[in-house]
Amino acid sequence: MWKLKRKVVCSALLASGLLTSSMMTSAEQTSSISSQSNLSIENCHVDGIKEQIKCGTLTVPENYQLPAGQQIDLHFTVLPAIDNSNNKIPLMFLAGGPGQAATELAAMLRNRFYEVRKTHDIILVDQRGTGQSSQLKCDDEAFTAQSVYESLTFDFEVSEVQDCIADFTQDLSQYNSENAIRDFDAVRGALGHDKINVYGGSYGTRAALIYMRMFPESLNSVVLDSVAPLDMRIGLFGQSGARSYELLLSNCQAEESCQKAFPNLDQDYQKVFAELVAKPVELSIPHPRLGTATKLIIDADKFVSTIQQQLYSLTGRSMMPLVINQAAQGNFMPFVGVLAQADEKQPRGSVYTNLLMNIACNEDFPLIAEQDWQADASNQFARNISHRGVRLVCPLWPKYRPEASFYEPVNSDIPTLILSGNLDPVTPPENGERADQMLANSRHIVAEHLSHIVAVNDCGVGLVAKFIDELDLEGLDASCLAELPAETFMTSLNGNT
Amino acid sequence: MSAGFSQLKALVIKEFKEAFRDKRAMMVAFSMSLLAPVMIMVMSKTMIKEMVDKPPVYAEFVGAEYAPKLVKDLADENILPLAEAEESDLRIWQERGITITIPETYGQDMIEGKIINVVLNADYSDKPSLAPIRRIKDVVRDHARAIGYKRLIMRGVDVRILQPLNLVEQDRAQPSSNAMMISIMLGLYLLMGAFMSGLSIAIDSSAGERERNVLEMLLCQPVSTTKIVLAKLSCSASISILSIILMLVVTSISIGFVDLSKIGATFSIDLYMFVALLGLLIPICILAAALQLFFSFQAKSFKEAQSTVTMLIMLPAFVPFILMFIDDRPMWLDWLPVAGQSIIMEDLFKGLTINWSAFAFTSVTTVALSAVLVMTLAQKLKSEKVVMALS
Repeated sequence: MWKLKRKVVCSALLASGLLTSSMMTSAEQTSSISSQSNLSIENCHVDGIKEQIKCGTLTVPENYQLPAGQQIDLHFTVLPAIDNSNNKIPLMFLAGGPGQAATELAAMLRNRFYEVRKTHDIILVDQRGTGQSSQLKCDDEAFTAQSVYESLTFDFEVSEVQDCIADFTQDLSQYNSENAIRDFDAVRGALGHDKINVYGGSYGTRAALIYMRMFPESLNSVVLDSVAPLDMRIGLFGQSGARSYELLLSNCQAEESCQKAFPNLDQDYQKVFAELVAKPVELSIPHPRLGTATKLIIDADKFVSTIQQQLYSLTGRSMMPLVINQAAQGNFMPFVGVLAQADEKQPRGSVYTNLLMNIACNEDFPLIAEQDWQADASNQFARNISHRGVRLVCPLWPKYRPEASFYEPVNSDIPTLILSGNLDPVTPPENGERADQMLANSRHIVAEHLSHIVAVNDCGVGLVAKFIDELDLEGLDASCLAELPAETFMTSLNGNT
Repeated sequence: MSAGFSQLKALVIKEFKEAFRDKRAMMVAFSMSLLAPVMIMVMSKTMIKEMVDKPPVYAEFVGAEYAPKLVKDLADENILPLAEAEESDLRIWQERGITITIPETYGQDMIEGKIINVVLNADYSDKPSLAPIRRIKDVVRDHARAIGYKRLIMRGVDVRILQPLNLVEQDRAQPSSNAMMISIMLGLYLLMGAFMSGLSIAIDSSAGERERNVLEMLLCQPVSTTKIVLAKLSCSASISILSIILMLVVTSISIGFVDLSKIGATFSIDLYMFVALLGLLIPICILAAALQLFFSFQAKSFKEAQSTVTMLIMLPAFVPFILMFIDDRPMWLDWLPVAGQSIIMEDLFKGLTINWSAFAFTSVTTVALSAVLVMTLAQKLKSEKVVMALS
């Protein structure tokens, strides 16, 4: 049950970083491989990719201060460049979350990062604590007991969290952002690359910034997509969520059919919110997958965090006005259809919440003061709902603390392309702006009509590919992003013209 | 011994001189090696263009205003209204006359969830229209499917129930083996090149010489018939080998002009492949020359030689075609001339390790077969019946 709750907690907390894409190609550097006894690499198949790619394991110390101590196996894959006759400096993909396992995104990246993969290998490493790299596991039998339809975000016991934490066999203090970067750079070295390009999305941008500080000589170029700078606190997403929601409202008003269908969208939302706060809704519905009679409970937390999650993507956003409007009329079935997408234990590419908690509770939570929480909660969308999860769990979580220098802004002159989506509910363009001002050799491009992660779009990926090929920030032509059409919305249960 | 060798040398020089004197025969010999790479390049470019690039398609829209989202999806795939066509393209697209008709009731029917008939009117037998038609169908299907998914979500259905099975495909081929189209074409052209390039030279130096009465003169000289045949064989075979080398060189250059990465493929001829291919093809060139000489000496006239040899020679060139259609290849095929080389070439293009014993064995059988042909022919040339074409 705790596991399920964690899921809901986390979507309330973070709406799960970068869920968009990871694909990677592996450049096989056979010469360097045989000499390393702690590295193994072989041909393999992964879900969703027909052809063989390279999978590997690199053994590293759990604690880099104690090289002879406990060892962990890092799992990585390499999507080889299509044009193997033209091997260029590979691209390492840093996943989001924190807590996404990069290798689970291989199939998605293979399709989406096509332009990059033409000439560059893509390297994907499961961050320690996720996927197949010493995953932070706890007993999750209770998970199957309850469905996403019945369970509520906060009906879990403190003891459940404590039981889960007690299950970990690892030294949690070693599962931090800086050690993750040490791991990534170790994989780079083991594969025999002097330099790599790095693409970070969402939390991956923070990882990339730390990489720039710790191992600048390893980096040829950096792409920061939807930036989470080091001065941003994971957990404070009230204001950015509200901003994204308000853009949804104004974009709906700007579209004639949406304006006509939902003239009072915000009132609809506030009405549902107030009603759910007063009294959660309890219904009997046909199970979205099984078709059998099922109990459904919706409270304000569940309603808001599900909608907030949808603000990450244009498809999700296109359905939200209708979902809100129908809920205001008492029809929660559209909401259930959206909720059903979360009815999976650990969907491929989703966030491993234990690592998310371990990092957010130690690297971010201690720095957030009470007035920060309050300032973030003063908004007309999620209020303080996105805070509740972390504020409940973090006090229970085992502690490690990074050095003060960890939080200092990163200074670097490595060529850096910064991308932001204007509609983004967690990493708004101002984050990119701040990062741009700190970095000496960077350019910030805002995609007016995209949400979280710009490289979900062909044009965005094209920019990334061109940038790492030519490293010409000024010459980069971003006009295709400006030409993307404004978002459109579904205005009836059957769709519209 | 040295006298024997100088005789052979003189004969070989004579054959080459004659071969090069016939400019048209030389043109035929080398046309294949130049044309094949160009054809491979042009075909790949066209295919990639159709598969990946999205050249604009212009269709006449009737009722576009009723379905702006569908029209936008079409435009995203570069399927545009006829009015937007460039002056130069306009006439072609008017003639193709692809029309998409959207009913006036589109909006209302959509909201009511009724089935909407979008009419695609085109000449389906017009081949250049097929790719545009396919693209229009794809967009309309995807657009409709996206709406269908959302309709289910809005009714509280888990859309994953629409996908009861997910086929996980795993291809064990080496990652480098993906330029199949080009490997197949190049393999075929190389085999045909080996067989065809020396053809007219072989015919001319056998049946042709007989018609010009040169053969009689030659046989009157105190040289062995084996030497005469060997000289003719080395001339014709060297021309084929030259032609193959040229084809490989031109192909490796011309393929650079095709962006194969667009279809996720890569192809290049490196030194290893170049040498291995040549090693496979040289015995075939020798065998081809031997076969051609053998059969054209049997023919009564130049013209008859031409038709017989062309016919007979096409047979071995079809071996790779036939191999493609045999599902369960018996092992012994690996060891046969032509079939063996063809199979090893396939492995080579797929990036698999070469079975060197099969490589050696087919080469030996191929050369041995050629030797048998040469010896038989030398024997036959001692008979007047063959020389005078009396049989």
